[in-house]
Amino acid sequence: MIRPIDVHAVLQQSVPGPYADLVTRPTGRAVRERIELTLTDASVLRMDFTGVRCIDYSCADEIVAKLLRTVQVLLLRGVTDAHRLAIEPVLQGHGLAVAIETGAGLEVLGPPEAAALVAEELLARRLAERTAGGTLALTAA
Amino acid sequence: MTRLVDVPAQFDDRSFEHFAASFAAGSAGGERLLFDAHATEWASPYGLVGLLVAGQAAHATGRERPLLTVPANPRVLSYWARAGFFQQASLLFEIHGKVPKVKPAEESDVLLPVTAVRAAEDVHQVVSHIQQRATAILTSQLGIDPKATMGFAMALSEACQNIVEHAGTGGWVAVQHYEWRRRLAKRVVVIAVGDAGVGFRHTLEPTQAKRFGDRWGDGAALEAALIQGVSRFRDPGRGQGLKGIRGYLSRWDGKIAIRSGTARIAIAPSWDDDAPLTEGLSAFPGSQVLLIIPEQGTGTP
Repeated sequence: MIRPIDVHAVLQQSVPGPYADLVTRPTGRAVRERIELTLTDASVLRMDFTGVRCIDYSCADEIVAKLLRTVQVLLLRGVTDAHRLAIEPVLQGHGLAVAIETGAGLEVLGPPEAAALVAEELLARRLAERTAGGTLALTAA
Repeated sequence: MTRLVDVPAQFDDRSFEHFAASFAAGSAGGERLLFDAHATEWASPYGLVGLLVAGQAAHATGRERPLLTVPANPRVLSYWARAGFFQQASLLFEIHGKVPKVKPAEESDVLLPVTAVRAAEDVHQVVSHIQQRATAILTSQLGIDPKATMGFAMALSEACQNIVEHAGTGGWVAVQHYEWRRRLAKRVVVIAVGDAGVGFRHTLEPTQAKRFGDRWGDGAALEAALIQGVSRFRDPGRGQGLKGIRGYLSRWDGKIAIRSGTARIAIAPSWDDDAPLTEGLSAFPGSQVLLIIPEQGTGTP
């Protein structure tokens, strides 16, 4: 089961004030805990970062890395180059990977071994298929 | 009796050691301190934040509230007021001299006035403010790719979080940009973050002192934190903040220097001749972080 999460909306619920930035470890922890409350039987999470202006390393660690202890696959969408600046080193540090929805298909972000496992998981769950060019494309809407 | 603490005429990271030595000598006796800035002609964000840190430390020892004589030069006085210094200083010092009433941050080169950081909420406000003010300046005046301006906010956020997570007390942050004629002949953005908290050695001692053995001290603690990415937490996700800041500064030929206790560590690009590690300095409370990002693409002198 894929659980959709609007990250910006969760952020707004988690901090006092109309902030669009995922910064500080306490904020990351609050956002993650709120997401975890909704997980129950979900093993795949689709997190939409649209509307999130900036994410720092602490929040990337608290949210992305720590959610991967609970769910098997994280699908991220609305991810900007600036978001990647924080998410990529955190994934490298933990040896974890996530799938990012791009306009053209799916990109798996993370160190090669972890990325290969995520790609296999996506294919096994029929969430993705191989294109003629060998890249991944999302099958589930 | 009152002991005098000299504030240098040009008060920045280079003259800071003169100030720290004067503060350490003045603090030794337990008398009331008088911070004398009347002859100060210029202060960087690092100087202004450092002055507040010293004031907080003097205030916290239980002795009489420290005195501060303001700069005699009206132009300097006005600039300090616009940089938001006196708003914070009035909470710590008995100020002597007339302070002009101006709104902070009206000056275009003050990207972030001197701002108190005590909790995560303060970091949110700092990051939000800086993104509204800094993006245009970083791209148009420093030649930094617009996509990379978010990295600037991330670096600022992580630097401020060191106070919230490790200092055990509040601190301050200030961001300015200016023409750096004497040292680089370029425009630079300078971030200064400081606190009068427990410092890096105290924070890391429980987990790192044994590993370093006889070498353990302020210098080794700074090396562990900045170079090795060590954190007091066992969680492998910790220690990413300083590493991320280093990565961002490396990409933009920037500089980071951290002073804590009696040591100072710096990762300096080719345009700077700062020593990688200096130990045996005068003791100064807490930690002071300096980040400098220079204008891009015009070559170094």
